[in-house]
Formats: sequence, C-alpha cells, structure tokens
Amino acid sequence: MRPVIRATLHYLALVVISAIWLIPVYAMLINGFKSNLAVLSTPVLVPPTSFSLSAYHIVFNALERPLLNSLIVVIPTALISTFLGAMGAYFFYTLTYSFSKFLSSLSDFLFSLITLATFIPYQATLIPLTRLVVSMGLLDNYLGIMFAMLIFYIPTGALLMSMFISVVPRSIIEAAKLDGAGDLKIFMKLILPLSLPGFISTLIFIIIEAWNNFFIPLVLVTTPGMRLIPVAVESYTGGYGTIYNETFAAAVIASIIPLAIFIFLGRYFIRGLIALGGGGKGV
Amino acid sequence: MKKSAIILVIPTMAFTIILLYLVIWNAVVSFMNWSLLNPKPYFVGLQTYLSVMKQFQFVNSLVHSLELSATLVVVGNVLGILFASLLYFLSSNKVRSVFLSIIIYPLAISMAVDALIWLWLYNIDIGIDWVLVKIGLPKFPWLSSTSTMFPSLILVTIWAYSGLATLFYLAGFMNIDKTIIEAAKLDGAGSFKILRKILLPNSLNSFIISTALLFLFSFRIFSLPYILSGGPTNIFLQTLVVYMYYLFTVEFFSQATAVATIVTLIASIVILPYALVIIRRWIRR
Repeated sequence: MRPVIRATLHYLALVVISAIWLIPVYAMLINGFKSNLAVLSTPVLVPPTSFSLSAYHIVFNALERPLLNSLIVVIPTALISTFLGAMGAYFFYTLTYSFSKFLSSLSDFLFSLITLATFIPYQATLIPLTRLVVSMGLLDNYLGIMFAMLIFYIPTGALLMSMFISVVPRSIIEAAKLDGAGDLKIFMKLILPLSLPGFISTLIFIIIEAWNNFFIPLVLVTTPGMRLIPVAVESYTGGYGTIYNETFAAAVIASIIPLAIFIFLGRYFIRGLIALGGGGKGV
Repeated sequence: MKKSAIILVIPTMAFTIILLYLVIWNAVVSFMNWSLLNPKPYFVGLQTYLSVMKQFQFVNSLVHSLELSATLVVVGNVLGILFASLLYFLSSNKVRSVFLSIIIYPLAISMAVDALIWLWLYNIDIGIDWVLVKIGLPKFPWLSSTSTMFPSLILVTIWAYSGLATLFYLAGFMNIDKTIIEAAKLDGAGSFKILRKILLPNSLNSFIISTALLFLFSFRIFSLPYILSGGPTNIFLQTLVVYMYYLFTVEFFSQATAVATIVTLIASIVILPYALVIIRRWIRR
C-alpha cells in the first residue's frame, strides 16, 4: 500500500470512530435548541432550522436548585476526600522505610480496604448505609450525602494520591527529616507542593465521579428540594409524550460542569484515570 | 517518627473502617430472617441464600450482570487495542490527544445522562432507526423488543467504557522504549508487525488493568438499567445491583443483604488480588 493511501485510511478510520463516538453529544447539543414545534416535525439526529431557548428556559428553572445542591455537596466532598486521602497516602509512602512487621501488615490491610472502598459496587452497602445515615439524623441533608460519599471517595483519594506521592524523591524527605522536620510539616510543606499536579488530578477525578454519582443521592434524598442533579434529570426520561428538547436540555445542564472540566482540564482527569489503574510512567 | 505519620492516616482509616462495618453488617444480616413480614430478625443460617438462589429473578439478574461484564471485558479490550494502535501510530501528539479525548469523553458524563440520551437515540421512529430507514436499511428494535433490549444496554456501556481500555493500552504502548520501535522500522517492519511483535507482547499489564477495571465498573452500573427501564422492576434489564435495590424497595431486607454480600464477594475476588499485586507493586517500588 502506498504511504499516502495508508495515511488516509488511518485518518479515515479515526474520523469514522470519532463521528460515531460523538453522536450522543451531537444529539445533546442540537436538540436542546429545538422549539416544541420543531420537536414534533424533526427526528433526533436532524439539526433545527431555527434556534429556540424555550426548552433551556423551562428546564433550567426546574434544575437550578438541584444544580446548586450538587455544587454544595460535590465541591467540599472532593476537596476533603483529596486532602484527607493525601494524608493517608503519605502514611503508605513513609512505610517503605519501615521494616516493622506490624506496620507493613497494617498497611497491606488498609491498602486492601481502600482499594475495596474505591471499586466496590457501592450499591451493595445500600441498607446499612441508609440505616447509618438515618440514625445520624442526616437523611435529606447535605451532610448525610457528603458523609456517604466520603466513605467511598476518601479511599479513592488515598489510592490515587498514593500513586502520585510515590514519585516524590525520597532524598528530599530524608534531608528534611535530618533537619528535624516532623511528618505533618513534611506533608504540608514538601509532599503537597511537590505532588500538586497529582493533587489536582485526584481532585478533578473525584469531582467528576461524585458529580455523576446517581445512586447515593437517589437513596439518601426523599424530598424533591434536596435532589442532586443526576437524580433530578431522571424525570426527563423519554417516555411517550415527553417533549425531547427538554430531555436534551436537561442532559446538557447536568453534564456541562463535568464536560467543561474535561475539555479544559482533561489531562488531569486522564492522569487520574491512569493512576486508578496502578499508574504509568510519570503519573 | 512513625507516630505522627500514623495520625495522618487516621481519617482514611476511620472511613475505611466504616465501610468494613457496612460490608460486615450486610453479611451478618444475610444470615438472618428479616423482612416486612418478619420485623424481628433472628438467625436462620444459609436459608436466605438458599431461597434467594432459587429465585428466577436472582438467576436472571446474575446472568445479566455476568453477560454485561463478560461482553464489556471482551469488546472493551478488543476495541481498546484497536483504538490504541490507531492512536499510537499517529505522528502528531496534538492530533493523538484530540482523538483520545473524543474516545474518552463518555467517562466524564453521568450514566444517568447517558441513559436519557440513548433512550431517544434508541427511539424506533425518530432515533437512529430514522437514519437506517433513510438509507434503506430495516429498522432495528433496540429497547422495544425483549430480545434486543439487553444488548442495546450493553452497547451503551461499550460506548461509555471502551475509552478506559484504550487509555491503558495506549499508556502501555507509550511506555515501550521508542528506540526499539525505531530500530524495527529501520529493519523494514510495518505497523502491523510492530503491533504484533513488539507492542502487544508488552501489553500484559494493560490487559490486566483494563480487564479488572472494565469488570468492576460494569459490575456496578446501576443508573443505566434503572433509567432505561424506568425503575428497578423490568426483569429484562435487571442486573444484580438493580435487583438488590428492588428487594430493598419491597422490604425483603435479608434477601437484599444476601444479594449485596454475593455482589461484594464477586467484586472482591477481582479487587483484592488487584490491590495486593498490581497497585502495591507500584507504591512499594
């Protein structure tokens, strides 16, 4: 095969795959701008002839509160998870010096638990989790949702930060130790600044995961006013008779924040994903 | 020096212990008889498990979950290798990262939103079928036929998660020493030969990671079947976690905890070796 043809086919394959992969986002972008009339006369994959903001107007009014709820819950959850997780990760890092049997089995035990907490189908904890949150009086409460999310996202933070902290050169830490610095000080003054890109990756990864979490807010919220965005959009399912421009407008409103983060800070999210898989070169 | 480092791990430890408590609580209650009809729980041993395993809905949802995970693992790995090699042989880093972003972006969107979008794309009058009819192909029934309903759901997960495998294969390929590839090229090896002789034999790690993560992510997909079927009751889209939620909503608590424990056990079979071998190896290097 001639190189030109080869290169063309190579690109053609990627363009076709990309086109298929982008169909949902294409549908999302065009259909929210259709008027109710256009919805009745055009199929989902045909763009509108005129732009209408009426669907966005209606949906945004309904989703304003859930959007705010999600921000109130997700941002602190992600910050706390990343920070506390990083502290835990530093503990795993320091253990590599130690040859104490007790500490290294404790570390293995904890490490298995944080991996379990990160990857467990969290739905499995439904009943005890709900009971625990109810007994704390935190049902339908921001704190209740945050508490439940922290159970899974602090370990996620610890797991990811372990990957990122492991590349911090040990000589720097040892030098600080010789100067008499304590672990807390080393963590705040050396580890955090040196692993800042990793901290941002972990933070962004957890923001996106927590934002998109459907199950926890589904079971811990019973009043409509406390709903988070992924649960609130559920009412726009395309049952017969639903006007689909509203469904797509709702989809855009629910994903605008994670998608914007992905577009502008995607490299951090991708590094978070790679760390989730046990790291690669330079994570 | 150890004391102060231990203080730093306390928050993480506290929350993982809460998780452990939740898992153990499930396991203990699964040995009891507790439901709406029996508000006072007492020990019944394995009876709950026996009665759960005899139910059609349990077997049905277990088969669905395994079907979903197995298909996603196989197709995800195949597409991951295909996409990663197409991306690897691009000469421009910029172009590569654009295409990679397009394949990965579904991971940034909520499955709940995916479900909303795909419900309309699967509409047999105005969705993808409209295009099929336009170009002279027959309509595909998607969600409107019981036999194509679950495969349609699997298709959404393939779209959503193939990027994960692509990413790990690509990262693996990129880690291979460039000079070996260059030497092979000088010897006249084509892309396919490089892929077969150099890239793939060095991708065992990528394969293990992709397989483990695809399995674990697919095993906990909840909002997709839940929203596609408008609740937890549609047996054609019921997976284990959906069925467990259904048992909870009808207050069959013991049965729900038994299913939850089975789910946790199956996931742990993958998670624990993964934690102890793959991830620890990286941290303790």
